Amino acid sequence: MSLMRATSAVFRRELQLFARRKSDWANPLMFFLIVCSLFPFAVGSESERLKLIGIGVIFVGALLAAMLSLPRLFDEDARDGSLELMVTSPEPLAALILARVAALSLALGVALAVVTPVFALFYALPFDVAVMLALTVAMAVPTLLLVGSIAAALLVSARGGAILTAVLVLPLTIPTLIFGAGAALKVFYGESPVAELALQAAFMLLALALCPLAAAAALKISTD
Amino acid sequence: MIWESWGAFWDMGGRGFFVWGSYGALAIAIVAELVALKRARTAALKALQEENDL
Amino acid sequence: MARTESQSNEKFAGRWFWRYASPATFFPLAGKIELLCWVLAIVLAAVGLYMGFFVAPTDAQQGEVYRVIFIHVPAAWMAMVIYLAMAFWACTGLVLGTRLSFMMSHALAPTGAIMSVVALWTGALWGRPTWGTYWVWDARLTSTLILFFLYVGYMALAASFDDKKKGDRASALIALVGAINVPIIYFSVKWWNTLHQGSSVRPGSSSMATTMLTAMMIMTFAFWAYCIAAAMHRLRTEIIERERNAAWLKEAVKEAIK
Repeated sequence: MSLMRATSAVFRRELQLFARRKSDWANPLMFFLIVCSLFPFAVGSESERLKLIGIGVIFVGALLAAMLSLPRLFDEDARDGSLELMVTSPEPLAALILARVAALSLALGVALAVVTPVFALFYALPFDVAVMLALTVAMAVPTLLLVGSIAAALLVSARGGAILTAVLVLPLTIPTLIFGAGAALKVFYGESPVAELALQAAFMLLALALCPLAAAAALKISTD
Repeated sequence: MIWESWGAFWDMGGRGFFVWGSYGALAIAIVAELVALKRARTAALKALQEENDL
Repeated sequence: MARTESQSNEKFAGRWFWRYASPATFFPLAGKIELLCWVLAIVLAAVGLYMGFFVAPTDAQQGEVYRVIFIHVPAAWMAMVIYLAMAFWACTGLVLGTRLSFMMSHALAPTGAIMSVVALWTGALWGRPTWGTYWVWDARLTSTLILFFLYVGYMALAASFDDKKKGDRASALIALVGAINVPIIYFSVKWWNTLHQGSSVRPGSSSMATTMLTAMMIMTFAFWAYCIAAAMHRLRTEIIERERNAAWLKEAVKEAIK
């Protein structure tokens, strides 16, 4: 029973911290907004061309915004010493990490997904595409955070950690990128996105099962 | 021998640039790796000698 | 080592190869393997290139430019195989705790990265005259590109740690995570290729003349030998760097200087 209590306590604390600190949700959203706004300046404002690149730009923008939030998973606790407590606690470390990542995924995933249809406007994408994009972004963010938690754990308070984390994690997010953007693309062409959605969900579940264990091993390595 | 002349060999049916550009890149990569290997070994041995006043 | 060889073998209950988990014991063996492989690499490359350029005929469709495959395919193979080997030694190191395993992973990485770059470059130069563009987003080239990213990530991570032990285990973990992901990524990229039919479907190997195939196989073995030799050399250098305080090493260097 104490496992349930411990994990839900961690979960709730993460959500509370996220809600209280504006920078935790405002910064990633602003980054997302600015990145998505840059491309029209570079590519030209004709809506036909923007329609073609919109899905890709928005999806990658969301991934990058989530990527930038990775260091905050463990860095602060490393600074004030509570990471040691977490690692040496009697509760399984993987469960605690999962609770933390789940909370961040929920908060950040919802925030980014809710904002996505607005960007779909920038790129003249039809409404059904916007909705599919929001759904797939909502699935991609947890996948990215789960895989990224491994790298974040290895690089706890490392110098230049954010960039190196990105270099390590981004190649591993390519499958979820392919299928997430692919689903929206299918809707854009009026075809069925079921296969892509199923595969993206499959990767999310696979990450859910494996990544917390790997991240726990990673945390033990880096806090030794 | 299947080449009519050395000229034909270097020309590679008009695609000499692509063939020799590839083999050339490989040659450069190998040389670069070998040089790096040598330099690392020399540095390691030097450090070892200095540390132990050999 | 204050034991005789048979005493040592007894200690490991006859599993004599366990002795080679010690850097001191493996160091001379690595040197022998290295020398053998340099020689093999040169001989095989000479034979393979001769066959490739002076025996294999002109291709009916691609003319002469197909001869790039004699280095493109082996390089791509090695990029993949070396990563698997790297991941294998990373796993061994994490499970058994032998630092030599980690050193072997570190020794393999740069060679693997170079092979992936060579594969990409030669692939581009082969693709341009054959299919019209320097770059094609087909599953194999794209996977090689991602493999390159994984190599660089591994090396960057290992380099970012001052504590070598930590760096060993961290990079080993990331190598494993990468290895597990490679088939997933390959499958996803294949799927993605079929979605975006755009570029030409890369022709599967149309039946190659026997001489072409033989030359390519010989070159593959030549590349293999080269990579092993380079990795052994790098491994021995790393042993020299890391075991600098070990008595056996100081003795060996003293002997070499005399």
